[in-house]
Amino acid sequence: MCSACGFPARPGHWTDAGLATPQDRLRARFHRAAILRRVLAGRGLTAHDDGATGLMLSTLGGAHVLVADADGLWDAVARLTGRPFDPLDPAFLDPPA
Amino acid sequence: MRLTLLGGYLGAGKTTWLRHALHGAARPPHVIVNEAAGLSVDDLMLRGAAGLTVLAGGCACCTGRAALTLCLRGLSDAHSRGEGPTEIVMETSGLADPGAILALIRDDPVLAAHVRVAETVVLVDALHGLAQLAADPLGQAQVAVADRLVVTKTDRADPVALARLLATLRAVNPLALVGAAELGLPVALPDLPPQPPLSLPDPAGARAPITAEVLDLPAPVDWAGLGLWLSALLRARGDDIQRVKGVVRTPAGRLLIQTVRRVVQPPEVLPDSPADGDDRLVFLGQGAPAAALARSLHRFLG
Repeated sequence: MCSACGFPARPGHWTDAGLATPQDRLRARFHRAAILRRVLAGRGLTAHDDGATGLMLSTLGGAHVLVADADGLWDAVARLTGRPFDPLDPAFLDPPA
Repeated sequence: MRLTLLGGYLGAGKTTWLRHALHGAARPPHVIVNEAAGLSVDDLMLRGAAGLTVLAGGCACCTGRAALTLCLRGLSDAHSRGEGPTEIVMETSGLADPGAILALIRDDPVLAAHVRVAETVVLVDALHGLAQLAADPLGQAQVAVADRLVVTKTDRADPVALARLLATLRAVNPLALVGAAELGLPVALPDLPPQPPLSLPDPAGARAPITAEVLDLPAPVDWAGLGLWLSALLRARGDDIQRVKGVVRTPAGRLLIQTVRRVVQPPEVLPDSPADGDDRLVFLGQGAPAAALARSLHRFLG
Protein backbone atom coordinates (compact mmCIF):
# COMPACT_ATOMS: atom_id res chain seq x y z
CA MET A 1 0.00 0.00 0.00
CA CYS A 2 1.23 3.50 -0.80
CA SER A 3 1.48 5.46 2.43
CA ALA A 4 0.59 8.71 0.70
CA CYS A 5 -2.61 7.76 -1.08
CA GLY A 6 -3.54 4.51 0.68
CA PHE A 7 -3.94 2.57 -2.57
CA PRO A 8 -4.37 -0.31 -3.14
CA ALA A 9 -6.45 -0.63 0.00
CA ARG A 10 -6.41 -4.42 -0.02
CA PRO A 11 -5.11 -7.08 -2.34
CA GLY A 12 -7.23 -8.77 -4.95
CA HIS A 13 -10.73 -7.38 -5.16
CA TRP A 14 -13.19 -10.07 -6.27
CA THR A 15 -13.94 -8.24 -9.50
CA ASP A 16 -10.39 -9.06 -10.65
CA ALA A 17 -10.81 -12.81 -10.10
CA GLY A 18 -11.88 -13.58 -13.66
CA LEU A 19 -8.87 -11.85 -15.23
CA ALA A 20 -5.93 -14.13 -15.92
CA THR A 21 -3.05 -11.80 -16.81
CA PRO A 22 -1.88 -8.28 -15.87
CA GLN A 23 -2.81 -7.22 -19.40
CA ASP A 24 -6.36 -8.50 -18.86
CA ARG A 25 -6.57 -6.56 -15.62
CA LEU A 26 -5.38 -3.34 -17.24
CA ARG A 27 -7.79 -3.76 -20.15
CA ALA A 28 -10.59 -4.43 -17.64
CA ARG A 29 -9.89 -1.12 -15.88
CA PHE A 30 -10.25 0.86 -19.11
CA HIS A 31 -13.29 -1.19 -20.01
CA ARG A 32 -14.96 -0.47 -16.66
CA ALA A 33 -14.27 3.24 -17.00
CA ALA A 34 -15.85 3.18 -20.49
CA ILE A 35 -18.96 1.40 -19.14
CA LEU A 36 -19.22 3.90 -16.28
CA ARG A 37 -19.00 6.88 -18.64
CA ARG A 38 -21.96 5.46 -20.55
CA VAL A 39 -24.00 4.39 -17.52
CA LEU A 40 -23.41 7.52 -15.46
CA ALA A 41 -23.64 10.06 -18.29
CA GLY A 42 -27.27 10.81 -17.39
CA ARG A 43 -26.18 11.85 -13.90
CA GLY A 44 -23.55 14.32 -14.98
CA LEU A 45 -20.67 12.11 -13.94
CA THR A 46 -17.67 11.01 -15.90
CA ALA A 47 -15.05 8.37 -15.14
CA HIS A 48 -11.40 8.12 -16.06
CA ASP A 49 -8.84 5.46 -15.27
CA ASP A 50 -5.18 6.29 -15.82
CA GLY A 51 -4.18 2.65 -15.46
CA ALA A 52 -2.11 3.37 -12.37
CA THR A 53 -3.63 4.89 -9.25
CA GLY A 54 -7.30 4.19 -9.47
CA LEU A 55 -10.56 5.21 -11.00
CA MET A 56 -11.32 8.94 -11.01
CA LEU A 57 -14.95 10.05 -10.88
CA SER A 58 -15.62 13.68 -11.78
CA THR A 59 -18.74 15.82 -11.77
CA LEU A 60 -19.47 18.56 -14.27
CA GLY A 61 -18.90 20.99 -11.42
CA GLY A 62 -15.33 19.83 -11.06
CA ALA A 63 -15.50 17.65 -7.95
CA HIS A 64 -13.20 14.62 -8.15
CA VAL A 65 -13.10 11.40 -6.18
CA LEU A 66 -10.51 8.67 -6.57
CA VAL A 67 -11.89 5.22 -5.80
CA ALA A 68 -9.96 2.02 -5.13
CA ASP A 69 -12.43 -0.64 -6.22
CA ALA A 70 -16.06 -1.42 -6.92
CA ASP A 71 -16.93 -1.39 -3.21
CA GLY A 72 -16.05 2.28 -2.82
CA LEU A 73 -17.22 3.22 -6.29
CA TRP A 74 -20.97 3.17 -5.75
CA ASP A 75 -20.76 5.00 -2.44
CA ALA A 76 -18.75 7.70 -4.20
CA VAL A 77 -21.34 7.88 -6.97
CA ALA A 78 -24.09 8.33 -4.38
CA ARG A 79 -22.10 11.04 -2.61
CA LEU A 80 -21.31 12.99 -5.77
CA THR A 81 -24.83 12.87 -7.22
CA GLY A 82 -26.76 13.09 -3.98
CA ARG A 83 -28.69 9.84 -4.41
CA PRO A 84 -27.74 6.17 -4.63
CA PHE A 85 -27.44 4.52 -8.01
CA ASP A 86 -29.96 1.71 -8.49
CA PRO A 87 -29.41 -0.46 -11.57
CA LEU A 88 -33.02 -1.71 -11.33
CA ASP A 89 -34.46 1.82 -11.34
CA PRO A 90 -37.12 1.88 -14.13
CA ALA A 91 -35.67 5.18 -15.36
CA PHE A 92 -32.33 3.43 -15.86
CA LEU A 93 -33.79 0.30 -17.43
CA ASP A 94 -35.81 2.23 -20.01
CA PRO A 95 -34.31 5.69 -20.41
CA PRO A 96 -36.45 8.32 -22.13
CA ALA A 97 -35.36 8.49 -25.75
CA MET B 1 -7.32 -21.03 6.71
CA ARG B 2 -10.64 -22.60 5.89
CA LEU B 3 -13.54 -21.48 8.03
CA THR B 4 -16.77 -23.40 8.33
CA LEU B 5 -19.64 -21.43 9.81
CA LEU B 6 -22.16 -23.43 11.75
CA GLY B 7 -25.46 -21.71 12.32
CA GLY B 8 -28.99 -22.46 13.31
CA TYR B 9 -31.70 -21.33 15.62
CA LEU B 10 -31.48 -21.71 19.39
CA GLY B 11 -31.62 -25.39 20.30
CA ALA B 12 -31.31 -26.68 16.74
CA GLY B 13 -28.59 -29.14 17.77
CA LYS B 14 -25.48 -27.24 16.70
CA THR B 15 -23.20 -28.43 19.47
CA THR B 16 -24.32 -32.04 19.21
CA TRP B 17 -23.72 -32.03 15.47
CA LEU B 18 -20.33 -30.42 15.90
CA ARG B 19 -19.27 -32.88 18.58
CA HIS B 20 -19.89 -35.80 16.25
CA ALA B 21 -18.27 -34.01 13.32
CA LEU B 22 -15.16 -33.52 15.47
CA HIS B 23 -15.12 -37.16 16.44
CA GLY B 24 -14.75 -38.31 12.84
CA ALA B 25 -12.45 -35.55 11.60
CA ALA B 26 -9.06 -36.52 10.12
CA ARG B 27 -7.56 -33.14 10.96
CA PRO B 28 -9.22 -31.75 14.05
CA PRO B 29 -10.18 -28.12 13.52
CA HIS B 30 -9.87 -25.22 15.88
CA VAL B 31 -13.32 -24.54 17.27
CA ILE B 32 -14.74 -21.13 18.10
CA VAL B 33 -17.90 -21.19 20.14
CA ASN B 34 -19.96 -18.07 20.51
CA GLU B 35 -22.51 -17.72 23.27
CA ALA B 36 -24.88 -14.81 23.33
CA ALA B 37 -25.25 -15.21 27.07
CA GLY B 38 -22.37 -14.51 29.41
CA LEU B 39 -22.02 -18.13 30.41
CA SER B 40 -20.92 -20.99 28.24
CA VAL B 41 -21.93 -24.59 28.66
CA ASP B 42 -21.33 -25.82 25.14
CA ASP B 43 -17.56 -25.80 25.41
CA LEU B 44 -17.59 -28.60 27.97
CA MET B 45 -18.97 -30.92 25.34
CA LEU B 46 -16.36 -30.25 22.70
CA ARG B 47 -13.29 -32.19 23.67
CA GLY B 48 -12.27 -33.42 20.22
CA ALA B 49 -11.12 -30.04 18.96
CA ALA B 50 -7.50 -29.09 18.26
CA GLY B 51 -8.10 -25.85 20.11
CA LEU B 52 -11.09 -24.12 21.53
CA THR B 53 -11.96 -20.48 21.90
CA VAL B 54 -15.10 -19.44 23.70
CA LEU B 55 -16.52 -16.04 22.93
CA ALA B 56 -19.08 -15.47 25.62
CA GLY B 57 -21.07 -12.41 26.46
CA GLY B 58 -22.29 -11.15 23.13
CA CYS B 59 -23.42 -12.43 19.81
CA ALA B 60 -20.57 -12.30 17.28
CA CYS B 61 -22.70 -10.70 14.59
CA CYS B 62 -23.47 -7.61 16.69
CA THR B 63 -22.17 -6.87 20.20
CA GLY B 64 -19.37 -9.44 20.11
CA ARG B 65 -17.83 -8.38 16.79
CA ALA B 66 -14.66 -6.98 18.32
CA ALA B 67 -13.99 -10.20 20.26
CA LEU B 68 -14.45 -12.32 17.14
CA THR B 69 -12.15 -10.10 15.08
CA LEU B 70 -9.49 -10.29 17.78
CA CYS B 71 -9.79 -14.06 18.03
CA LEU B 72 -9.56 -14.63 14.27
CA ARG B 73 -6.64 -12.22 13.99
CA GLY B 74 -4.81 -14.17 16.69
CA LEU B 75 -5.37 -17.38 14.76
CA SER B 76 -4.20 -15.68 11.54
CA ASP B 77 -0.99 -14.59 13.28
CA ALA B 78 -0.32 -18.11 14.55
CA HIS B 79 -1.06 -19.52 11.12
CA SER B 80 1.42 -17.13 9.50
CA ARG B 81 4.09 -18.44 11.88
CA GLY B 82 3.19 -21.99 10.88
CA GLU B 83 1.76 -22.83 14.29
CA GLY B 84 -1.92 -22.27 13.90
CA PRO B 85 -4.71 -24.47 12.60
CA THR B 86 -5.65 -24.68 8.93
CA GLU B 87 -9.25 -25.56 9.67
CA ILE B 88 -11.58 -23.51 11.83
CA VAL B 89 -15.15 -24.29 12.72
CA MET B 90 -17.16 -21.50 14.22
CA GLU B 91 -20.32 -22.34 16.06
CA THR B 92 -22.42 -19.22 16.03
CA SER B 93 -24.90 -18.41 18.73
CA GLY B 94 -28.50 -19.25 17.96
CA LEU B 95 -29.22 -15.56 17.63
CA ALA B 96 -26.56 -14.88 15.02
CA ASP B 97 -27.11 -13.97 11.43
CA PRO B 98 -24.30 -15.77 9.53
CA GLY B 99 -24.48 -13.09 6.84
CA ALA B 100 -23.25 -10.47 9.29
CA ILE B 101 -20.24 -12.62 10.23
CA LEU B 102 -19.33 -13.10 6.57
CA ALA B 103 -19.44 -9.32 6.18
CA LEU B 104 -17.17 -8.86 9.18
CA ILE B 105 -14.52 -11.17 7.72
CA ARG B 106 -14.72 -9.57 4.29
CA ASP B 107 -14.33 -6.04 5.67
CA ASP B 108 -11.34 -6.70 7.90
CA PRO B 109 -8.11 -6.23 5.91
CA VAL B 110 -6.19 -8.91 7.85
CA LEU B 111 -8.94 -11.50 7.93
CA ALA B 112 -9.83 -10.97 4.27
CA ALA B 113 -6.32 -12.15 3.39
CA HIS B 114 -6.17 -15.10 5.79
CA VAL B 115 -9.60 -16.61 6.18
CA ARG B 116 -11.56 -18.34 3.46
CA VAL B 117 -15.14 -19.28 4.24
CA ALA B 118 -15.47 -22.89 3.08
CA GLU B 119 -19.08 -23.56 3.87
CA THR B 120 -22.03 -22.23 5.81
CA VAL B 121 -23.91 -25.08 7.45
CA VAL B 122 -27.23 -24.26 9.05
CA LEU B 123 -29.09 -26.72 11.24
CA VAL B 124 -32.86 -26.79 11.40
CA ASP B 125 -34.82 -28.47 14.13
CA ALA B 126 -37.32 -30.92 12.60
CA LEU B 127 -39.71 -30.43 15.51
CA HIS B 128 -39.65 -26.67 15.87
CA GLY B 129 -38.18 -25.49 12.59
CA LEU B 130 -41.47 -24.59 10.97
CA ALA B 131 -42.64 -22.57 13.94
CA GLN B 132 -39.30 -20.76 14.14
CA LEU B 133 -39.36 -19.95 10.43
CA ALA B 134 -42.88 -18.65 10.73
CA ALA B 135 -42.34 -16.64 13.89
CA ASP B 136 -38.92 -15.07 13.48
CA PRO B 137 -37.37 -13.36 10.46
CA LEU B 138 -33.98 -14.43 11.81
CA GLY B 139 -34.88 -18.07 11.19
CA GLN B 140 -35.52 -17.27 7.56
CA ALA B 141 -32.35 -15.21 7.30
CA GLN B 142 -30.28 -18.12 8.64
CA VAL B 143 -31.82 -20.60 6.21
CA ALA B 144 -31.49 -18.19 3.29
CA VAL B 145 -27.71 -17.81 3.57
CA ALA B 146 -26.87 -21.52 4.05
CA ASP B 147 -24.81 -23.62 1.63
CA ARG B 148 -25.98 -26.74 3.39
CA LEU B 149 -29.06 -27.29 5.51
CA VAL B 150 -29.11 -30.15 7.98
CA VAL B 151 -32.42 -31.14 9.51
CA THR B 152 -31.92 -32.52 13.00
CA LYS B 153 -34.10 -34.69 15.24
CA THR B 154 -35.86 -36.23 12.23
CA ASP B 155 -36.55 -39.46 14.13
CA ARG B 156 -38.96 -37.69 16.42
CA ALA B 157 -40.79 -35.71 13.76
CA ASP B 158 -44.12 -36.48 12.19
CA PRO B 159 -43.52 -37.42 8.47
CA VAL B 160 -46.13 -34.98 7.16
CA ALA B 161 -44.73 -32.12 9.24
CA LEU B 162 -41.20 -33.08 8.16
CA ALA B 163 -42.20 -33.09 4.49
CA ARG B 164 -43.78 -29.68 4.99
CA LEU B 165 -40.63 -28.36 6.62
CA LEU B 166 -38.42 -29.66 3.79
CA ALA B 167 -40.69 -28.11 1.16
CA THR B 168 -40.58 -24.80 3.07
CA LEU B 169 -36.79 -24.93 3.34
CA ARG B 170 -36.50 -25.51 -0.39
CA ALA B 171 -38.81 -22.58 -1.03
CA VAL B 172 -36.71 -20.25 1.14
CA ASN B 173 -33.37 -21.51 -0.16
CA PRO B 174 -33.56 -23.63 -3.33
CA LEU B 175 -29.77 -23.68 -3.71
CA ALA B 176 -28.71 -25.34 -0.48
CA LEU B 177 -27.98 -29.03 -0.20
CA VAL B 178 -30.43 -30.53 2.24
CA GLY B 179 -29.52 -33.45 4.49
CA ALA B 180 -30.54 -34.84 7.83
CA ALA B 181 -28.76 -35.84 11.01
CA GLU B 182 -29.74 -37.60 14.20
CA LEU B 183 -27.60 -37.01 17.26
CA GLY B 184 -24.95 -35.59 14.98
CA LEU B 185 -24.73 -38.55 12.61
CA PRO B 186 -25.87 -38.13 9.03
CA VAL B 187 -28.94 -40.16 8.14
CA ALA B 188 -30.86 -40.60 4.91
CA LEU B 189 -34.09 -38.67 4.64
CA PRO B 190 -37.02 -41.08 4.67
CA ASP B 191 -39.47 -41.24 1.78
CA LEU B 192 -42.05 -38.60 2.46
CA PRO B 193 -45.40 -37.66 1.04
CA PRO B 194 -45.19 -34.50 -1.07
CA GLN B 195 -46.43 -31.47 0.82
CA PRO B 196 -46.93 -27.85 -0.17
CA PRO B 197 -44.54 -25.39 1.48
CA LEU B 198 -45.86 -23.27 4.30
CA SER B 199 -46.34 -19.72 3.15
CA LEU B 200 -44.13 -17.72 5.46
CA PRO B 201 -44.99 -14.33 6.79
CA ASP B 202 -42.89 -11.71 5.38
CA PRO B 203 -40.03 -10.57 7.59
CA ALA B 204 -40.52 -6.89 6.98
CA GLY B 205 -44.26 -6.81 6.91
CA ALA B 206 -45.38 -5.98 3.42
CA ARG B 207 -42.51 -7.35 1.39
CA ALA B 208 -42.83 -9.88 -1.36
CA PRO B 209 -41.77 -13.49 -0.69
CA ILE B 210 -38.26 -14.58 -1.60
CA THR B 211 -38.10 -15.93 -5.12
CA ALA B 212 -35.35 -17.57 -7.15
CA GLU B 213 -34.62 -15.82 -10.44
CA VAL B 214 -32.33 -17.28 -13.09
CA LEU B 215 -30.27 -15.00 -15.30
CA ASP B 216 -28.51 -16.49 -18.32
CA LEU B 217 -25.39 -14.50 -19.12
CA PRO B 218 -24.59 -13.60 -22.71
CA ALA B 219 -21.61 -15.70 -23.84
CA PRO B 220 -18.73 -15.10 -23.84
CA VAL B 221 -19.08 -13.44 -20.46
CA ASP B 222 -17.68 -9.93 -20.15
CA TRP B 223 -16.21 -10.47 -16.70
CA ALA B 224 -15.22 -6.88 -15.97
CA GLY B 225 -18.65 -5.61 -17.01
CA LEU B 226 -20.43 -8.33 -15.07
CA GLY B 227 -18.46 -7.55 -11.91
CA LEU B 228 -19.17 -3.85 -12.20
CA TRP B 229 -22.88 -4.50 -12.68
CA LEU B 230 -23.11 -7.01 -9.83
CA SER B 231 -21.32 -4.65 -7.46
CA ALA B 232 -23.78 -1.87 -8.35
CA LEU B 233 -26.73 -4.21 -7.94
CA LEU B 234 -25.64 -5.48 -4.54
CA ARG B 235 -24.82 -1.96 -3.33
CA ALA B 236 -28.35 -0.81 -4.17
CA ARG B 237 -30.33 -4.00 -3.53
CA GLY B 238 -28.19 -6.00 -1.10
CA ASP B 239 -30.95 -6.03 1.51
CA ASP B 240 -33.43 -7.54 -0.92
CA ILE B 241 -31.15 -9.90 -2.83
CA GLN B 242 -30.18 -12.39 -0.16
CA ARG B 243 -28.00 -14.61 -2.23
CA VAL B 244 -26.47 -14.90 -5.69
CA LYS B 245 -24.83 -18.07 -6.86
CA GLY B 246 -23.55 -19.42 -10.15
CA VAL B 247 -20.63 -20.61 -12.23
CA VAL B 248 -19.13 -18.26 -14.80
CA ARG B 249 -16.53 -19.12 -17.44
CA THR B 250 -13.75 -16.52 -17.55
CA PRO B 251 -10.23 -16.23 -18.95
CA ALA B 252 -9.00 -17.28 -15.49
CA GLY B 253 -11.08 -20.47 -15.45
CA ARG B 254 -14.53 -21.49 -14.31
CA LEU B 255 -15.36 -19.36 -11.29
CA LEU B 256 -17.88 -20.08 -8.58
CA ILE B 257 -19.60 -16.83 -7.61
CA GLN B 258 -21.33 -16.66 -4.26
CA THR B 259 -22.73 -13.70 -2.44
CA VAL B 260 -24.58 -13.26 0.82
CA ARG B 261 -26.41 -9.94 0.82
CA ARG B 262 -23.68 -7.36 0.16
CA VAL B 263 -20.77 -9.72 0.76
CA VAL B 264 -19.16 -11.32 -2.26
CA GLN B 265 -17.01 -14.28 -1.35
CA PRO B 266 -13.69 -14.52 -3.20
CA PRO B 267 -14.62 -16.45 -6.35
CA GLU B 268 -13.27 -19.98 -6.32
CA VAL B 269 -11.72 -21.62 -9.39
CA LEU B 270 -13.51 -24.87 -10.25
CA PRO B 271 -12.09 -27.82 -12.23
CA ASP B 272 -12.33 -27.19 -15.94
CA SER B 273 -15.19 -29.45 -16.95
CA PRO B 274 -17.82 -27.28 -18.60
CA ALA B 275 -21.33 -28.12 -17.52
CA ASP B 276 -24.77 -27.08 -18.68
CA GLY B 277 -25.31 -24.80 -15.71
CA ASP B 278 -22.35 -22.56 -16.57
CA ASP B 279 -22.69 -18.85 -17.33
CA ARG B 280 -25.86 -18.58 -15.34
CA LEU B 281 -26.55 -16.78 -12.07
CA VAL B 282 -29.33 -17.56 -9.62
CA PHE B 283 -30.68 -14.65 -7.57
CA LEU B 284 -32.57 -15.35 -4.36
CA GLY B 285 -34.45 -12.39 -3.07
CA GLN B 286 -37.26 -9.97 -3.48
CA GLY B 287 -38.13 -7.33 -6.02
CA ALA B 288 -35.59 -8.36 -8.67
CA PRO B 289 -37.44 -10.17 -11.48
CA ALA B 290 -35.27 -11.93 -14.07
CA ALA B 291 -36.47 -9.67 -16.89
CA ALA B 292 -35.38 -6.52 -15.03
CA LEU B 293 -32.02 -8.10 -14.15
CA ALA B 294 -31.39 -9.05 -17.77
CA ARG B 295 -32.38 -5.58 -18.98
CA SER B 296 -30.17 -3.92 -16.38
CA LEU B 297 -27.16 -6.07 -17.28
CA HIS B 298 -27.75 -5.31 -20.94
CA ARG B 299 -27.70 -1.57 -20.19
CA PHE B 300 -24.28 -2.04 -18.60
CA LEU B 301 -22.77 -4.26 -21.26
CA GLY B 302 -24.25 -2.22 -24.11
